[in-house]
Amino acid sequence: MHGALFVAKTGLSAQDTSLKVISNNLANVSTVGFKKDRVVFEDLMYQIQRQPGAQSAEESQLPSGLQLGSGVRVAGTQKLFQEGEMQTTGEAFDIAIAGRGFWQVTLPNGDTGYTRQGQFQLNSDNEIVTSEGYLLDPGLTLPAEVQSMTVGVDGIVSVIVQGSAAPQQVGQLQLADFVNPQGLQAYGQNLYLETAASGTPTLANPGEGGTGQLRQGMLEGSNVNAVEELVNMITTQRAYEMNSKVISTADQMLSYVTQNL
Amino acid sequence: MDKVLYLAMSGARETMRSQQAHANNLANATTTGFKADFAQARAMQVYGEGHESRVYAMAERPATNTASGTLMQTGRSLDVAVDGDGWLAVIDANGNEAYTRQGELQVNQFNQLVTGSGARVMGNGGIPITLPPFEKLDIGGDGTITIKPLGAGASELAILDRIKLVKPESGELFKSTDGLMHTGNNQPLLPDAGVKLRSGFVESSNVSSVTELTSIIDLARQFEMHVKMMKTAEENSSAAARILSLQ
Repeated sequence: MHGALFVAKTGLSAQDTSLKVISNNLANVSTVGFKKDRVVFEDLMYQIQRQPGAQSAEESQLPSGLQLGSGVRVAGTQKLFQEGEMQTTGEAFDIAIAGRGFWQVTLPNGDTGYTRQGQFQLNSDNEIVTSEGYLLDPGLTLPAEVQSMTVGVDGIVSVIVQGSAAPQQVGQLQLADFVNPQGLQAYGQNLYLETAASGTPTLANPGEGGTGQLRQGMLEGSNVNAVEELVNMITTQRAYEMNSKVISTADQMLSYVTQNL
Repeated sequence: MDKVLYLAMSGARETMRSQQAHANNLANATTTGFKADFAQARAMQVYGEGHESRVYAMAERPATNTASGTLMQTGRSLDVAVDGDGWLAVIDANGNEAYTRQGELQVNQFNQLVTGSGARVMGNGGIPITLPPFEKLDIGGDGTITIKPLGAGASELAILDRIKLVKPESGELFKSTDGLMHTGNNQPLLPDAGVKLRSGFVESSNVSSVTELTSIIDLARQFEMHVKMMKTAEENSSAAARILSLQ
């Protein structure tokens, strides 16, 4: 059939994937701690119809040959870990990470998940959990009758208990850091899982070993920029339209042959 | 009659091939650092006995358009775009040095600096660049990579390798089947200190969608004319058969 038909088809499906990624970014524009994705396109193999440098006759060579590209594909998606905007909430259990690092949480199946979302809550056992109810790791249990909790930039948690004026230190929060955070596998629920590409996590107190410092009473917003995504959406749509135009043109060429010959 | 029919057929076939070349350009209209291919047709005359009237068309790719695409700001420190002429040196699947303008760099699990499609980036030292664990990374205008090692203080910056940047003579590079640019005999080029790199930018594809779409429509019309010629050849032949047929 017509080579251009299949080439344009790869263009359509690549732009389709791109639109899906853009719409997922836009859908998460107000998800706390969300990191946007970006698609990486790559041109496919070229087929050699005529070898450059082949003899066209004993004394003459083809100077350039003919190499036809076979389209485009999405080589992968990259998670972009730029920091989101910091929002001040004043809520004691909202803790943002200013810099690198992830919170470590224990998933229901015992695996460890990593997240940048710092919207914590207390469960019925006075333990600090994520909004899904997963335990923070290393865990922290607050004493009963806590009046106020303070988290230092270095992760030291101190509380004031009813009947006592002196604050008491109850624990130390830690952050996990990866050599290549882009290699983490997105799990949904704002969680990431360790992979061979991300490397093994190194645990450190906040502010040490390259991890960021903590900011109590703040949340890290999504790093999606709505304007940027809308512009990407328009370019994607136009590229899609043009590829579909190629398909209809190639189709008309074929139908012209079948009708006229 | 065979001449006109075959000539028109070869014209239509080569038109379809150039159509594919333009469709490939258009499919890659949003591929970072992609360089559009040119397509042209050449006259191939057949010499032989009698009147030398047969001139076949032959589609070919004379070159790749190396003009720069637009630089788009992303703000990501690992995104690099070559400002002006020049190429990033990478290692292709066969271990040879190849050249690309796709600068969506990332770090793979072996701590190597790779392009978005996974080709390892070559350093000026002649080996692929490997990065130690870093907290912050900065790529300078000449490709120098400065990192703040993990856990180091703000004053303990380390300068690593430089990304190998080359500036070949025009016509020295050609696009290979893997989409990367190669030299004719896979000989590595010498680094050029004059090539400028911009960190925080990626280079868009240099495909002009309007030009490609116009070419596709133009080729579609040419194709119809070739088919028309085939139809005319058929009519001529059937007219001849009718006149010469025995009643």
